[in-house]
Amino acid sequence: MDFDFTQEQVMLRNLAREFFSRESTPQVVRRLMQDPTGYDESSWQQMAEMGLLGIVADPDLGMIEQALVLDEMGRNAYCGPYFATAVLAASALAAAGDNTLLPQVGAGALKATVAVLEDAISWQPSAVQMRATASDNGFVLNGTKRFVPWAHVADKILVVARTDDGTTVFVLDCETPGLSVTPNLEMDHTNKTSSVTFEQVRAETVVGEINRGWEVIGPMLRRAAIGAAAEMLGAMRRCMEMSVEYAKVRNQFGQPIGMFQAIKHACAEMLLDVENAHGATYYAAWAQDAHTPDAALAASVAKAYVSDASRKVCGSAIQVHGGIGFTWEYDLHLYFKRAKHLEALYGDADFHREQALRLMLEQPVQQRQAVLV
Amino acid sequence: MDLNYTPEDEAFRQRVRRWFAEHRPRGEHLEDRKAWQRTLYEAGFVGMGWPREYGGQDARPMEQAIVAEEMALAGVPGPFNGLALGLLGPTLIVHGTVAQKERYLARMLTAEEIWCQLYSEPDAGSDLASLKTSAVRDGGDWVVSGQKVWTSLAPYSDYGMLLARTNPNVPKHRGISYFILDMHSPGVEVRPLKQITGHSEFAEVFFNNDRIPGQNIIGEEGQGWELAQTTLGFERGGNTLARVTRHQANLRRLSEICRTLSRDGVPALEDPLVRQRLGRMAVEVEVLRYAGYRILSKLEKGQRPGSESSVDKLYYSELDKRHQELVQDILGPYGQLERGLPEGLELGGSGVRGQDSSWTFNFLWSRAGTIYAGSSEIQKNIIGERVLKLPREPRADRQPTTGA
Repeated sequence: MDFDFTQEQVMLRNLAREFFSRESTPQVVRRLMQDPTGYDESSWQQMAEMGLLGIVADPDLGMIEQALVLDEMGRNAYCGPYFATAVLAASALAAAGDNTLLPQVGAGALKATVAVLEDAISWQPSAVQMRATASDNGFVLNGTKRFVPWAHVADKILVVARTDDGTTVFVLDCETPGLSVTPNLEMDHTNKTSSVTFEQVRAETVVGEINRGWEVIGPMLRRAAIGAAAEMLGAMRRCMEMSVEYAKVRNQFGQPIGMFQAIKHACAEMLLDVENAHGATYYAAWAQDAHTPDAALAASVAKAYVSDASRKVCGSAIQVHGGIGFTWEYDLHLYFKRAKHLEALYGDADFHREQALRLMLEQPVQQRQAVLV
Repeated sequence: MDLNYTPEDEAFRQRVRRWFAEHRPRGEHLEDRKAWQRTLYEAGFVGMGWPREYGGQDARPMEQAIVAEEMALAGVPGPFNGLALGLLGPTLIVHGTVAQKERYLARMLTAEEIWCQLYSEPDAGSDLASLKTSAVRDGGDWVVSGQKVWTSLAPYSDYGMLLARTNPNVPKHRGISYFILDMHSPGVEVRPLKQITGHSEFAEVFFNNDRIPGQNIIGEEGQGWELAQTTLGFERGGNTLARVTRHQANLRRLSEICRTLSRDGVPALEDPLVRQRLGRMAVEVEVLRYAGYRILSKLEKGQRPGSESSVDKLYYSELDKRHQELVQDILGPYGQLERGLPEGLELGGSGVRGQDSSWTFNFLWSRAGTIYAGSSEIQKNIIGERVLKLPREPRADRQPTTGA
């Protein structure tokens, strides 16, 4: 029973912390927020060299390592197509057994994204309505995908569409005729999403198998839920640290505000939420790597718990700061918005609470105790 | 990170599980509870963390956690002499004299002598160090007068660990000493207090010039506060996972009832609002499980959980209140029935404290957890000041005093 990270994992975390606190300073983040591409190519290439883009494909690394990196990204509000490429697309490709595109992703030569959501807000296969109609030598796609992360800089897009007997995932060049990308402006300016419209788009390459698209998207969404939890964890950790620091130096009524129980207790509750979020995130990551019978439950627990906890902590941070925390110049909103962005994606807290309940009811307690606890 | 149990742990768990399948307590009476502890002791499940030379098992935290979990899973009560085993005995092991250890420790394990902790007073609750019960030297003895309150197990106790003021002329933390007190001696009067549950597990204890023999002081005169801090600091290792097991059993039972209990024309389990709330509880209980693993991981490495103890206590005690409130919300007026609950709606099983547990008892009992052993507010002060290093609040009793 060991909940501590291995030496290698600690080294990776330190490496990532050092890298993102250098490459993703608030100044850099603020510059990229206004930049239409929204990321820095030289940082991207360095991440490739460090192996951060190839975690999914690396047999020696797992979800724990992935979470450690995302944790640090959340802490520094890193801007770029990392989640879209190295988590979503890479997980989907890995689930499909791909070995041609994955190495390119790892090498930093290919940016990719995955298009799941449509008009309806649902992470269930039934919500996939976009049609892929079989034609002579492939399929023809028609419809609109929403909230496609970083599609505006992606080279490839994986898209899940409805086929005769289920869903199917296709991979396309973003330059394919009939495919158009319309960028949104997110409340979180550090993240870019787009609506992607398909008009008579020819799709020839299937990821995984025809009609079995959810065997690719399902495992991807599970990793995405844990990954999002890790990134939210980083953001909330930063918000807590800033609040505690501020409460020590901000004086009112002749004393630091952290001396007042109203503020002290708010900070104590932040630590409770951060510690629990850490436990939930890394337990889920471990369970995923160890293929435990409760891995799906743990992923839902992590996304449900951390979504709520990050909302609470990041919100409380603004409250502890008062007026300064509500200004654009102060950095708090970068992390507040980053956490908020991820709250709504890959299943929100309501969705994962329902999943958690279903999974708990399916698992007899005796058995679980014997196998796991 | 590796949260798997070793094959040895699994084998141990199977052994423990078989044992609990074959052994049940006789009943609920004091003598039954003592006999049950004796049975547990003979099986090696009492004082597991104590050193062997004092009758313990030198067991690993993991083994203790497994036994606590299996006990919870079997729905049987733990050892009756809980304070002695978890707190008082270990303090005596560290700070007691050879004679004290020989005299008291073994009988704590076998429940031959039950112990209570004489700490809180009417005017000294969260601010324990302001206690007023005094012990004055008289020849070789100490003469004790004053009053304690909220003393758990006092009505059943043979001995108590007493914190009393032996020097009123020094700062409050330094004038306190630690004693072993014979609860049957003539100057001691125990008046049971009825709790909101209707049970009387705690009491007021009055000392009317009770005499304590000189050899019953623990440690040095004036060292009481320091020793009490070690007592308060002893970690209750595997208890968190046992709590999880009880919550899970509770939640499962509630979910089962929700399959048939009709709310507005549909089974409660089909109501999305009920499902959301059950789901939230399932999530929170799982998170407690992971917190339990983190503590166990530290204990297994011989580290003392620091801030985790306060965070853990704050979380599980507040969680229990939310959980029991959820039960009440879902069961509606049924949740409040102490008698007359229709068949099929009972909680069933046996509770934490040995009584047949019930929804009403659990609901009421959940109010205690955020008060005893350092209230939630005190835990937040500890987290804020000792962990986050926020400035300590100015306190009237820390102001420089003139005179005395």
